[in-house]
Amino acid sequence: MKKTKAVVILVLALVMTASAVFAGGVEESSGIRTVTIWHCAQGANAGVFSVLTESFNSTVGKEEGIVINSIYQGKAGDVLTSVNAAAGTGNLPDIAMMDATAATDMDHSDYIVTVDQLGIDTKYILPCGISSYTSDKGLLALPFNASALLYYYNKTLYDSLGVSAPTTLDEMIEVAKVVGNSGVTAFVGVPATYELSTFIGAQNGLSYMVNNRNGHDGAPTEVLFGKEGTYAAFLEKWKELYDTGYYNPLVSGVTGEFTSGRCAAMLASSSNLSTIIHAVDGAFEVGVARVPIVNDQATGGTVISGGALFTFTDNDAVRTVLEYLISPESQIIWAQTTGYVPVNMRAYESSGYKAFLRENPLYKVAYEALLDSNPGLANVWVPSAYSIYYSFQSNVAAVLEGKDIDTAVAEMEAIVQNAIDTFAAQNI
Amino acid sequence: MTCACKAYRLPLVTPSGSLKYKIKPYLFIAPAVILAALFWWYPSAKGFVSSFLTMSNSGKVMGFAGLKNYIMLFSDRNFLKSIWTTLRFVLLFVPLNTVLTVLAASLTRRRSKLSFIPEYLFFSPVAISLSAYSLLFREMFRGEASVVNRIFGLDSGWITDPTGAMVTLVILGVFLDFGIDYILLMCAFRSLDKNIIEAARIDGAGGWSLLFGVELPMIGKTVMVTVFLALKDALLICAPIIILTEGGPFRSTETIMFYYYVEAFKSGNRAIQNSLSSLVLVIAAFAMIIYERRGRKRQ
Amino acid sequence: MSGKTVRKPVDTFKFILRKVLLVILAAMVVFPLVYMLSSSLFRPTDFNRLHLFPDTPNFANYAKALSHRYFGHYMVNSVGTALFAAVVRSVVVILAAFAFTHLRFKGKNFFLGALVLTLFVPQEAILYQNYRTVAALGLIDTWTGIVSTSLFSAAQMLLLMGAFSGIGKEPYDAARIDGATDLRYIANVLIPMTGPVVLTMGIQTMITTFNSYLWPLLVTNRPQSRTIQVGITMLGFVEASDIGAQMAALTIVTVPFLVVLALAKKRIETALIRS
Repeated sequence: MKKTKAVVILVLALVMTASAVFAGGVEESSGIRTVTIWHCAQGANAGVFSVLTESFNSTVGKEEGIVINSIYQGKAGDVLTSVNAAAGTGNLPDIAMMDATAATDMDHSDYIVTVDQLGIDTKYILPCGISSYTSDKGLLALPFNASALLYYYNKTLYDSLGVSAPTTLDEMIEVAKVVGNSGVTAFVGVPATYELSTFIGAQNGLSYMVNNRNGHDGAPTEVLFGKEGTYAAFLEKWKELYDTGYYNPLVSGVTGEFTSGRCAAMLASSSNLSTIIHAVDGAFEVGVARVPIVNDQATGGTVISGGALFTFTDNDAVRTVLEYLISPESQIIWAQTTGYVPVNMRAYESSGYKAFLRENPLYKVAYEALLDSNPGLANVWVPSAYSIYYSFQSNVAAVLEGKDIDTAVAEMEAIVQNAIDTFAAQNI
Repeated sequence: MTCACKAYRLPLVTPSGSLKYKIKPYLFIAPAVILAALFWWYPSAKGFVSSFLTMSNSGKVMGFAGLKNYIMLFSDRNFLKSIWTTLRFVLLFVPLNTVLTVLAASLTRRRSKLSFIPEYLFFSPVAISLSAYSLLFREMFRGEASVVNRIFGLDSGWITDPTGAMVTLVILGVFLDFGIDYILLMCAFRSLDKNIIEAARIDGAGGWSLLFGVELPMIGKTVMVTVFLALKDALLICAPIIILTEGGPFRSTETIMFYYYVEAFKSGNRAIQNSLSSLVLVIAAFAMIIYERRGRKRQ
Repeated sequence: MSGKTVRKPVDTFKFILRKVLLVILAAMVVFPLVYMLSSSLFRPTDFNRLHLFPDTPNFANYAKALSHRYFGHYMVNSVGTALFAAVVRSVVVILAAFAFTHLRFKGKNFFLGALVLTLFVPQEAILYQNYRTVAALGLIDTWTGIVSTSLFSAAQMLLLMGAFSGIGKEPYDAARIDGATDLRYIANVLIPMTGPVVLTMGIQTMITTFNSYLWPLLVTNRPQSRTIQVGITMLGFVEASDIGAQMAALTIVTVPFLVVLALAKKRIETALIRS
C-alpha cells in the first residue's frame, strides 16, 4: 500500500514541522530585549505578579524596549529544582524568584550574579531583608517578597470563647484547651525548618540552628540546635500542646482545615494572608498575631522569610527590571494585594499605603513583628534543605507520638550534621 | 528472550552494487543503535563510573571515592526505608491490579447487545491522564473530611495518614493502568479459538470451570505480560507520588525512585544519585536474567 | 447459553452475581470520572459539604479555567508528542527488527545483544544523565527533547521480531524474486501481516508518552512547550484553594479524549482481536 506509506511519511513530516514550529524559544525581535523571570507566585499572588510585569511591559518596558517574560515554575523549591537542572546547559532564566532553601546552592554556584555586581542601590531595602540574603560573597539576591511567620486564628471563635491570641507557648496551650473543649480542633500542622527557624532563633535573645550565622557567613560546619538546647526547649512545650488532645498533626491540607473552620489556628507565612482571607470567604473573621514564644527568654522576634530575586545575567535590561520590582510603587501594589511585607522602606511613607494599613490592620502585623526583631536573626541555609525539611517534620511528629525528646534531638542533630558533612566533602 | 532469528541469504545482489548490500543492514539498525547508545549505554556507563568518584553538586569531579558512595547510600535510613516502602507497594498493588483487571475482562468477555457499555466504562480510564487522576485523588482522598469517607461511610485519614496514604497510592496505581490492561485482556479473551471453547462446553464445562479451566489458561501469556509490566511499573513508581503525596506523610510513600528524584534533583547529591542508579541497573539485570532463565526452562 | 434447556437456580444465582459484580466494578471504575465532572461545577462551600453533586452549578469555574492561555498548547503538545513518538518508535523498531530477522551481517549478534541489554536499564534510573544529554543537544522545550528517550524500545523490538519470525521466509524470498526492495516488502507485506502487533505497540507508545510526567517536566521550561500532564499540575488553582476551577481544567483536557475513545474503541478492538 503505497498510500499508507505516503500517509505515514506525510504525518511524520507534519509532526516534525510542527515540532520545529512549536519548539522555538521566545524570539527576540530587533531591539526588544527579553528578561525571563522564573517565579513561584501562586494563588492570589500569581495574579498580582502578572499585573506588575504587564504594567512594566506597557510603561517602562515600552520606553526602553524591554519585555518581561514571566513563567510560573511551581513552588519556590520547584523553581530551585529547575534552576539546578538548567545550570550548565545554557537554559537559565535571567532572574529566578526563590527562597532561603536556594541560598546554599546559589552561594556555591559559579553562575550567580550578586546584587553588588549588578550595582543596584539597596539603601532603602529593609535591613533584615538584606541580612537575610547576605553571604560571604555579598548580597546574593534582592529581597522581593518578604514575609514573616504568623499565627493565624479564628478570631470569631476566640472572641466568642473569651480568649485572645496567645503570646507564649504556655498561653497557646491554655487557649488550646478552651478551644478544644468547645468542640473545635485547636491547632493544625507540624512545624519544620521554616517554623523552627523562628522558634529557635528567638530563644535567648538570638540563636542559630547551625553555626556561621545559620550558614550565611560560610558553609555551616556545626549543628547548634542540639547542644544549645534550643530545639529541646521547643519540643517540650510543643509536646504539651499535643497532649491537650486538641492538636491535629497534618502535613497536607493544613490551610484547608483552617479556612474551612474545622481547625481554629495554624502557623503560616504572612504571604498567604490574601489567599486565606479569600478562601475563608467571610465564614469567620481571620485574625493574625505574632508567633508565640517558647519562653520568656525568647525575645529575638521573628525571622524574615519569603523570597528574593536571584539573578543570573548581568545587563542593563535586568537591572531596570529589578529596580522596577523593588520600587516603592511596585512594592505597595504587591504588598496590598498579597500580604507580603514591602521590602522598600519608602513604601511606608506613602499616604496611600498608610491608609491601606489603617483599614487592613492584619497586613501590618508581619511588618511590625519584623521591625521588633533582633537584626541578627537569620534564616537557615543548609544543603539538602528539601530533605531536611521532611526530616524535621518526621522528627517532630515522632516526639508527639511519644519519642523521647533527647533521643529525637540527637537524631535530628545527626541528620543535619550528616548533610552538612556530606556537602562539605563533595563540594569544598 | 530467545527468538528464532533466521538469516536470509539475499538471492540477488542489488543493482547499485555490493557496497550498498553491505551497508544496508547497518543503516537499518542505525537509528536503534544510536538511540540506545545515546540514551541507555552512555548514561548508564557515565553513572556507573561516576558512582566511584566524588562529584560536586555541579558535576565537577573532586576525587576518587571507591565504595564510599555506596556506603553512604546504604547508611541512609531514608534509602532503606524507601526499599521497604516500595516492596509494600508492590505486594499490595500487583495482586490487586491483576485480580481487578482480569475480573473486569472476564465479566465482559462475551459480546452481547449492551456489552459496549461496561466495555467503554472499563476502557475509559485510558482517557484520564496520570496527572489528572493524581490530582483528582489528592482531592477525593484528602483526609478525614473527604468525599470518599462520606460516600463509603469510612473514617480513614487517607493521604494525611501513613497507612491511608499507601492505600490511596495503591488504588491510584490500579486506576492508572486499568484501562490499557483491561482492553488487552478483554481482546485476548475474544481472540481465543471459539472451537476449543465450544468443545470444552460440549464436554460439560460450564460457567466458572470454563473460565478458570480453559479460558484463563489460554490467555495466560497475556496475563503474564500484564503482571510483568505491572511489577516493573510498581517497582519504579515515582510521578504519581510527586503529585499525590510528595513522599509523605512523613516519608511513608517515598519509594526508591522518589528518593532518587529528591536526591538527584532536589539535593543535588551526586553520590547517592549515581550509586543508586547503578544499583538499580545491576538489580534489573539480575532480575532479567532470572526471568530469562525461568522462561527458557519452561520452554 | 447453549444446550441447556433447564435453568437451574444455581445458574440464575451465578447470573445475578455476575451482573451485580459487573455493576459494582463499573461503578467504582467510573466514580472518579463522575466526581471530576460533577465537582467541576462546585463552589468552595460544596467542597466543604462533601456531597456528590453541586447545589447550584457554578459555571464560573470553566470561565476561570479557560482564561488560562495555554490549554491549547498543552493539548497540541501532548497529542503531537504522542503521535511523534509512536510513529518514530515504530519506524525505528520495525527497521531494526527486520534487519535482525531477515538480514545477515557481521556483528549481528553483538548489536542484538547490546540492544536487548537496554531492557535492563529503566529510564527512571538514568533520568539525570539523560537530562544533561538532552540539554546539551539543545533540545529543551522541543518535541524532540520530550520524546527523545522514548524513540526506541527493546521490548517492542523483540515482540516484533517474534511476529516477523512467525511469518517465515517464503513471502520474503518470493518478494525478492519479484524484485521488491526491502522497504517495499516491509511496507506492503510485513506490516499488514503483523498489523495487530504493530497497532498494539503504537497504542502503547502513545499512551506511555501521553502519560509521562517527570521527563516532560524536566525538559520543558516554558508553558508553550508543556504537555497536559505537566501543565495541569501548574495551574495554581489548588494553591488558591480554587479546587472547582482545577476540576474544570481537568474536565477540559479529559473530555476530548473520552470522545475520541468512544469513536475509536470499535476499531481498536477489531484490530486487537484480529490476532
